[in-house]
Amino acid sequence: MSVSSSRKTTRILSAELDKLITMPLIWRTFVATFIINLVLTAAFTSASLQGAADTKSVLNIGLASMIYLQAGFIILGILATCSEYTGGQVQTTLTTIPWRGLQLISKHLALAVFTFPAALVITASGVLYTVLMMQDTVAGIGINTMIQTVVGAAGYLTVTTLLSAAVGALLRRTTPALVVLLGYYFIVSPLMSDFLPRVHNYFPDAAGAYMYMETFSNEVKVLTPMQGTGIAVGWTLIFMAIAIVFYRKRDA
Amino acid sequence: MLTINNVVKHRGNQEILSGVSFKARPGRVTGFLGPNGAGKSSTLRILLGLDRATSGSALIDGVPFAELQNPLATVGAALDGFGAHRMRTGRAHLRWIARAAGLSHSRVEEVLEIVGLTNVAGKRVGTYSLGMGKRLGMAAALLGDPEILVLDEPVNGLDPEGIRWIRTFLRERAESGKTVLLSSHLMGELAETVDDVVIINHGKVVADGTLEEVIGNHSTLEEAFFALTSKNNGDGV
Repeated sequence: MSVSSSRKTTRILSAELDKLITMPLIWRTFVATFIINLVLTAAFTSASLQGAADTKSVLNIGLASMIYLQAGFIILGILATCSEYTGGQVQTTLTTIPWRGLQLISKHLALAVFTFPAALVITASGVLYTVLMMQDTVAGIGINTMIQTVVGAAGYLTVTTLLSAAVGALLRRTTPALVVLLGYYFIVSPLMSDFLPRVHNYFPDAAGAYMYMETFSNEVKVLTPMQGTGIAVGWTLIFMAIAIVFYRKRDA
Repeated sequence: MLTINNVVKHRGNQEILSGVSFKARPGRVTGFLGPNGAGKSSTLRILLGLDRATSGSALIDGVPFAELQNPLATVGAALDGFGAHRMRTGRAHLRWIARAAGLSHSRVEEVLEIVGLTNVAGKRVGTYSLGMGKRLGMAAALLGDPEILVLDEPVNGLDPEGIRWIRTFLRERAESGKTVLLSSHLMGELAETVDDVVIINHGKVVADGTLEEVIGNHSTLEEAFFALTSKNNGDGV
């Protein structure tokens, strides 16, 4: 029985989504990230409650936890791909879906479908909390600017998750992938921003930050949001392509 | 029909398989025997497209596994381990496989019933015993009601009742014209189940024929096995 390729692709995407939503660790990571983000946002908000506020400062405070928040999404991406190598699940995956490139692309697509709304909920909740707490001091809020910024932040977190998933697929083991990615995002990249500030703007996290910080950051901007998005997505596609090449060539 | 043709596999500097060739035919249960590390699992993994052969071919009805249009309906495979993430429930594990193959949730319940896991299907795979994990692997292999079954050590970890069930089940599959290839190191169990036997040792096939041909002048399959595998690089039957 021959199956049309669009039907086959839809089935594989559905199966990969099924894998994600039936994995308790994925939900735990999402809930923990949501709670930690709210706690951090509450702390940043309470430290900034003095004085008048505007849309810029509300977004600045509401998204101040982004640097820490991305750790949750890095873990999410790693879990999505490295969990294949627990309990020999990858054997079942590849005897059910032997088209490796299509399977890994579908996994990333499914992850994007899951991650973007999750990131939207988390970033919006942080900004909403800040708005509610600062409503007495805030001097007018630009709703469109806020929506644009929150969507940009959710996009950045989704791209970060996909890049992490690609690195997880390359390394195949959770701990090394965590060390490499957290080491990059929290040690290497901040150091590079001090020593090589111009080059650093083209790194995936720094370029990706232009997806959401245009509206509120006072830092000197080297890239436009579109350029930042393009560079961050480009990095992600490069890592995905490398992961697919290795996935197709290596023994499972 | 499964056709393994002159398969060679190198891992690092080591040659794990040295020109392995044999066939598993429809309507027959083919036993793939060998001591630990002989190359049984490596051969099956190459057949299932999990590992790449250095040279040679492993074909299913004339095509490599990755070129099958509907793999789950063609080959049901259960390899070592549970093949499932330990935090997912048995039912959730089978459901994503069914979804990938376009099968219904009712088919998942059917195979759970067949392998006797219905009552524990809602529990996490990490809580399963070795035998339950084997049954889950069998359930996954049977989901697509495939023409061919490839099973790595299927009776390992099963209780006597489970062993009897699998023996009867595999015989019935073969008698209905389907192909069954199973690896094992348990001679006694294999002798009562298989029609054909392939013995592998140090990555080379040392015997290939019907059960009677391989036993030859020896009193049992076990005797034949030890005689053939003790001769390093012995000639085939």
